[in-house]
Amino acid sequence: MRQAEAPESPESSGRGFLRMQGITKRYPGVVANEDVTFEVRSGEIHALLGENGAGKSTLMKILDGVAQADEGSIWIRGRQVAIRRPKDAQQLGIGMVHQHFMLVDDMTVTENVALAAPGRLAARADLAAVRDRLRRLAERHGLAVDPDARISDLSVGERQRVEIVKLLYRDADLLVLDEPTAVLTGGEWQHLATVLRELARHGKSVVIITHKLGEVFDIADRCTVLRGGRVVGTVTTAEASVRDLVRMMVGREVLLNVPRAAAEPGAVVLEVRGVHLRDDDGRTRLEDVNLSIRSGEVVGVAGVEGNGQTELVDILAGARQPTRGEVRIGDVRIERLDPRQAAAAGTAVIPEDRHRDAVALSLSLADNLTVKNLGESRFARWGILRRQAVREHCRRLVREYDIRVPGIDVRMRQLSGGNQQKAVVARELDRAPRLLIAAQPTRGLDIGAMEFVYRCVNRHREQGGATLLVSSEMDEILALSDRVVVMVKGRVAGVLSGAEATPETVGHLMSGAAEAMA
Amino acid sequence: MMSDRIRGLLIAWAVSIGAVVTALLASLVVVALAGSSPAEAAQALFDGAFGSTNRTAAMLAKAVPLTLAALGWVLAFSARRINVGLEGQILAGGAVAATIGLLVGGVPAALHLPLLVLGGIAGGALWAGIAAWLWVKRDVNEIIATLLLNLIMVQAVSWLVSGPLEEPTHTLGQTEPIAATARWPVLIPGTVLHWDLLLVPLLAVGLSFFLRGTTAGFRLRATGANPAFAAYSGIRTARVSALALVASGGIAGLAGASLIGATPQANMADNFSANYGFEGIVVALLARNSPLGCIPAAFLFASLKQGGGLLEARAGVPSGLVLVTQGLVIILVAGAGYLFERRRTRRVTAKAPSQPLPSEAPASDPTR
Repeated sequence: MRQAEAPESPESSGRGFLRMQGITKRYPGVVANEDVTFEVRSGEIHALLGENGAGKSTLMKILDGVAQADEGSIWIRGRQVAIRRPKDAQQLGIGMVHQHFMLVDDMTVTENVALAAPGRLAARADLAAVRDRLRRLAERHGLAVDPDARISDLSVGERQRVEIVKLLYRDADLLVLDEPTAVLTGGEWQHLATVLRELARHGKSVVIITHKLGEVFDIADRCTVLRGGRVVGTVTTAEASVRDLVRMMVGREVLLNVPRAAAEPGAVVLEVRGVHLRDDDGRTRLEDVNLSIRSGEVVGVAGVEGNGQTELVDILAGARQPTRGEVRIGDVRIERLDPRQAAAAGTAVIPEDRHRDAVALSLSLADNLTVKNLGESRFARWGILRRQAVREHCRRLVREYDIRVPGIDVRMRQLSGGNQQKAVVARELDRAPRLLIAAQPTRGLDIGAMEFVYRCVNRHREQGGATLLVSSEMDEILALSDRVVVMVKGRVAGVLSGAEATPETVGHLMSGAAEAMA
Repeated sequence: MMSDRIRGLLIAWAVSIGAVVTALLASLVVVALAGSSPAEAAQALFDGAFGSTNRTAAMLAKAVPLTLAALGWVLAFSARRINVGLEGQILAGGAVAATIGLLVGGVPAALHLPLLVLGGIAGGALWAGIAAWLWVKRDVNEIIATLLLNLIMVQAVSWLVSGPLEEPTHTLGQTEPIAATARWPVLIPGTVLHWDLLLVPLLAVGLSFFLRGTTAGFRLRATGANPAFAAYSGIRTARVSALALVASGGIAGLAGASLIGATPQANMADNFSANYGFEGIVVALLARNSPLGCIPAAFLFASLKQGGGLLEARAGVPSGLVLVTQGLVIILVAGAGYLFERRRTRRVTAKAPSQPLPSEAPASDPTR
């Protein structure tokens, strides 16, 4: 029924497809959206850009019918509409791809699409028909999807495509993707970008919610920036610079490429000699890894994820034992490194998987900040915690590391990703470690929090600390490292000095070594 | 934030109390449906528990093992270990205590009673220790291990009271009374209430402080909250968890010692625990795993247990009714708790950006 009014030409119903006019949404104690006006044209890709907590999600929840605006109106194709429930949004042709996919793992692609299709169950149960139409849709939009594949067998990128097909099957005209690259590898993102461009060419409107500038410049036609619940502005991407957008998003200049004093490497702090690791399945994960880091030096480990970086970090943190090889921290050769010994030897770790290894979400911020200090006499005597000292210490960390919380008793769960990471950084760096192991330290952080972490790493370096930085973000490696180690298939494929390291040389090592080993 | 915490506590209390009241009212409806008088039944239930000094004392005496078992559960559960073997650990503790009470002789009470108490703790701890060892070394799920160890201990006690420790006539299937020097002294003369009642506030407050105010308690909570995080932070999680299980068994064993040394008959009979180990889990559930909350929760269940005795005689209602009430409490608390958790999560989600932060602060947004 809706197809009848769906115009083939984007212009036939005026320029705009969607207009959210003067949207205000208040939650107790805060205004999440204030007088937000947001417009999306037919056939355009529009980025909704902003830091965590800027109000992007709230705005999209209102559009999706999950939340209701206190003030303002929503117009679609020039007609005012009321969206009270997600179902209303669906019927108006609005579709969401959530960051966490809404798919049944044990079912096939066709079955999932049928489940999400509109109409009576009886009509949807004709799987052959669903499969047919699904295949046609996928072909038309260049979406490679096998209708008979089981979801659990699909990669993350493929699952995302299934979500998109689900929306197309429902005749969605506006597709909203929430942080689409959070789970994708670089290659998968290129593929997705192609798909989205194709959809836009067919007259669909696409909104991507993001805090990453790269995505915006990759595919967005226009970009609306939110900050603190208000619209800072809407710009045509082609006419904007990275610097403009960052300033709009953060509200000030952000310096990710801080000019740094030249490295003054001192004594060797970390020495890794001939480390091998074979996992439980007998596969070789690390092979003859050699590495040394001096004080005042940042060594970046670059490489596509899954080439042994995680395992190397686990070994240095003491969470895993190498099959063979030697690790020295300072002058001490550590036979069987465990997390306690690593910490005692002066190692601080920012683990890669924050929620699994770095924080306990159900405990308080104070608990999370002090978990590594239990052995210190200033915080505990005879096994009894000195409550006052603990609380003062936590308050100081909150102040010094700018952790934005109402108090130190909040559950870790209630903090934003950026604030959680600041808490981890505070806990690790406050003990003035000799060696910092930072694995993907800015993953999931917005640009403001990222700058903060960079500053902490640089300060650690200036104070003579050694740093091993593992990151899959090339920019991060290049901005922070004095030397760059490229890892491919569990081996060190090459080492570049800071001056030699460029995206080209590092990329060349990554691919060249991969080919040589293939 | 503080007010948030207090509000959370108040809501938790309201949920528990509301569930209890609802369960009681619903039970009275059941009574009415069965054709008896709800008013009479309620009166009988109340009188059964509070009608006389004797009955109140008996109620309080029942609250002791209930509280201790509940505290045992809370201790293990703080490290997220599920100890469903409290019953077996009570029996084990009681068996060791009875053996000490029967076979050790000629020592003064100042030595004998502490021996009985320590023996009880050791027995419970040892029995839980088997499950802890299996969990650490053999990766055996502690739920299964503790549950099955119950069955073994039930048989072991049966064998003891009809074999090596049976009283001389070999007819009653129980032991002789233990030596007078090994018994808990009576608190209110002429009643069944003994001084072991003091253990209730002592251990509840002690456990509460242990979990919040000591490094060992911190390690326990961290291990329970996120084992991977705890390990990465240098906590020996396997050891902490195993010790939590053992200590949990020790508290249960202490309850076992009370069931031997703080009763009028002061002997060991077949199945002397009568389900305290499982009812203790329910008490902990009603208390939402708060050590101090275990006290009122245990008193409630002890009142039901004690008050049920008069139901049949006075109101013609089967005493099994109190089991219905108990069951309803469990379902209501679990259900209300579930709804409450869901509501609260949603509230936090909705409220998340509401922390009083500067506008450009990356406020929390748990929805992504």
